[in-house]
Amino acid sequence: MTASTTPPAVSASGVVVDYGATPAVRGVDLLVQPGETLVLLGPSGSGKTTLLYALAGFLGLTEGRIELAGQLVASSDRTVPPERRPVAMVFQHYGLWPHLDALETVAYPMRRAGVANAEARRRAAELLEQLRIGDLADRRPAQLSGGEQQRVGLARALARRPAVYLLDEPTAHLDGALKGELQSEMATRLHADGAAAVHATHDVEEALAVADRVALLRDGRIVQTGDPAEVYARPADDWAAALTGPASFVGADVVGLGGAGLRGDGQVSATHDAGRFLVRPDWLRFDGPLPATVMEVRYRGTHTDYRLSIRGAEVLLREPGQPRLAVGAVASCRVERAWRMPEPR
Amino acid sequence: MEDGPAALVAAVASAAPAIAASLWTSLGATVLAVAIGATLAILTERTDVPGRRGLRLAMLVAFIVPGYVAAVGWLNAYGPGGVLDDLLGVAVPALIGPLGIIIVLGVEAAPIAYLVVAAGLATRAEPDLERAARASGADAVTAFRSVTLPLLRPVLAGAAAIAFVLSVTSFGVPAVLGVPAGFTTMTTRIYRDLAFSSDPDSFVRAVGLAIVLAVGATLVIGLADVLLERHRTERSGAFGGPFGHPGTTPSGQLVEAGGARWRPRARGLGIAAWLLVVLVIIVPLVALLLSALTRAPGLDPVPANWTLEHFREVLGPRTLDALLNSALLAGAAAVGVVILGALAVASRRGQGAGPIGGFLGLTFALPGSTLAVAVLLAYGAALRDTLLIILVAYLAKFWALGYRPIASGLDGMAADLYRAARVSGADGLTTTWTIVLPVLRPLIVAGGLIVFVFGLHEVTMSSLLYGPGTSTLAVVVLNLQQLGESGPTAALAIVLTVIVALASLPLLRWGNSLERVGWR
Repeated sequence: MTASTTPPAVSASGVVVDYGATPAVRGVDLLVQPGETLVLLGPSGSGKTTLLYALAGFLGLTEGRIELAGQLVASSDRTVPPERRPVAMVFQHYGLWPHLDALETVAYPMRRAGVANAEARRRAAELLEQLRIGDLADRRPAQLSGGEQQRVGLARALARRPAVYLLDEPTAHLDGALKGELQSEMATRLHADGAAAVHATHDVEEALAVADRVALLRDGRIVQTGDPAEVYARPADDWAAALTGPASFVGADVVGLGGAGLRGDGQVSATHDAGRFLVRPDWLRFDGPLPATVMEVRYRGTHTDYRLSIRGAEVLLREPGQPRLAVGAVASCRVERAWRMPEPR
Repeated sequence: MEDGPAALVAAVASAAPAIAASLWTSLGATVLAVAIGATLAILTERTDVPGRRGLRLAMLVAFIVPGYVAAVGWLNAYGPGGVLDDLLGVAVPALIGPLGIIIVLGVEAAPIAYLVVAAGLATRAEPDLERAARASGADAVTAFRSVTLPLLRPVLAGAAAIAFVLSVTSFGVPAVLGVPAGFTTMTTRIYRDLAFSSDPDSFVRAVGLAIVLAVGATLVIGLADVLLERHRTERSGAFGGPFGHPGTTPSGQLVEAGGARWRPRARGLGIAAWLLVVLVIIVPLVALLLSALTRAPGLDPVPANWTLEHFREVLGPRTLDALLNSALLAGAAAVGVVILGALAVASRRGQGAGPIGGFLGLTFALPGSTLAVAVLLAYGAALRDTLLIILVAYLAKFWALGYRPIASGLDGMAADLYRAARVSGADGLTTTWTIVLPVLRPLIVAGGLIVFVFGLHEVTMSSLLYGPGTSTLAVVVLNLQQLGESGPTAALAIVLTVIVALASLPLLRWGNSLERVGWR
């Protein structure tokens, strides 16, 4: 490696972690560049947290190796402890120490790094101020709301100035507006000095919103990696399609009839070849050549979802605004876009 | 004379009447303790009977007052020449003897049963389950009978097991109420046999009985552990119970939905409960106080006959020495247990000990009589008649008492707190020092205080191990009682109880302080 190239923030290859009897992570390769956010998206039990713990140093590797910012931190016979890795972590349940107030909590990593007490406290106060919780500096976790607690948790992570932030479902216990606030807070703060982030979540909306790249995790393996638009539009298999959003599957006849003019990669050519096609609800529109029966109507505020029956296939159609068709109505629609599912291997 | 195991078996067999006496009085006490404890737990945790807070407090008082003090109180209240006898000419006939032992042991064990059942009500049979039954069409009583009670069954069995062991290992109560009637239990038999330990047969019998007692108690406690642990639900990870969290336990469910029809009956139950509490807990304590104040036995306990003479007498040099011994032993045991506990925490990340498991380990690891005999066998030659030998026994007995809360706290501590420190740059030792121990500090302090309180009024081991100049407060109380000096006995019992109560006060704030530092 030459001095001029920056090493990747995370470079993991062939990582296997045994956790209990069954391997929880079974051969994962990761490459995360400085400044990049990689989201690990998967259901609970898919190995997200185990993988984060392996990156943090809480779990050793059975096989494989992990380099963080160019430093070898883990292999099958070597585990650098967390305190000597260039990482910081934000926890789902905040992980705030009940006996320390917000200021002491944020000063803690700097104290461990050898910063003098007064200076650590000054910088901690600054960080709290930046996260708009400067007035809560003397509060202990029991006196903070969930959103405030997670801001303190975020400030504590920022205080360590790591090469890689590890985020374990950081917004899972926050609702609505708070979730969005924390997401944008993380987006602006985490990469300020070129750090990378590995962000585990089971929430697809959050994943697509915060990720530069998404890795879909199933049973300890990465099924697919890509940018958010890519994993949404071109999932590798049925499981990936269902994980990344509402998915309907139709035959070539539907696409062929309804999708005249579709072409190209993802814009399926309207040939009558066999195969199954993914249709996302926003890829369907009313008015077109396909006769459709309305099976169910769900009004969701910003939009309305219709479950339609088209030539025996059930599909979901989403359009903005309030419902304009009732159950049982006969309508017509067209397919604006479809993705031909890869043949199962 | 036979030798080895055969001699041991023969010696134990010769004490069969004492074993039988221990068994049946303890069974009786168990029934009484569970009946009182469970009833009060249900009343205070699930109904709106008036004075619930007072009933909880009464259980706490009964918990704090040592058994032998309660026994002396009962004698002063209901015994021959007691307050009731003086005022009304009525004395409970067989108070000295098995009946009195059963009653006082039952009252002494009731708070434990109360605690276990109240914790069970909060965790196993949470109010939502009862509400679900109500919402399914059951009335209040049916919901309780068909949902809450079946869920409580293992808890009740566990409470019974604990009450039994507490009763069977009690020394102070049979010493006060059994010995004068010539009624001997295992613990008082061990005491008598050790007093004549120059006779080899007696000593062998004491050892044999100590073993039987330990094996029996361990088996029953093991049973309780299985019953209570296996049925433990996720939510019981929380600390508390009615003493730990005053005011946070859900109350009034049974009534809240039961409406007006349930209320009058609840009021009746409340009055009955109060009557019981006054009769079995408060009257004996008041009688104790009156007896301590009254100039001579036989005089009416009226202000004209009051004096502070007995207090002056028991606060003389001999008693002060005993007080000093007790405080020294209790303090040393508390500090020792806390240091050992902190070291254990530092050296490993604790092993499973839920709150109830912790509670079981608390008082019941091994009978005090057995530990005293074991300590005598091991260190008697070198340390006989020293405070140190008592301290060794205290440390062995109270180790679990102090350490289990710490271990269960470690268990309940979110692992993320530890991980967060490591990933903030702290190594293992720094994490223990800056995070784990400070977070556990309330529990460590509480553990030390519990040991201190129990050490202050400890009677079983100190009775068996004390020598010239090393008697403890409890030993002096028992000796005065045996000399028939009822006034000074009562006075010293009051002094002891007040000291114990004062030392317990910080424990009352335990629950609150835990909440303040973020324990749920």
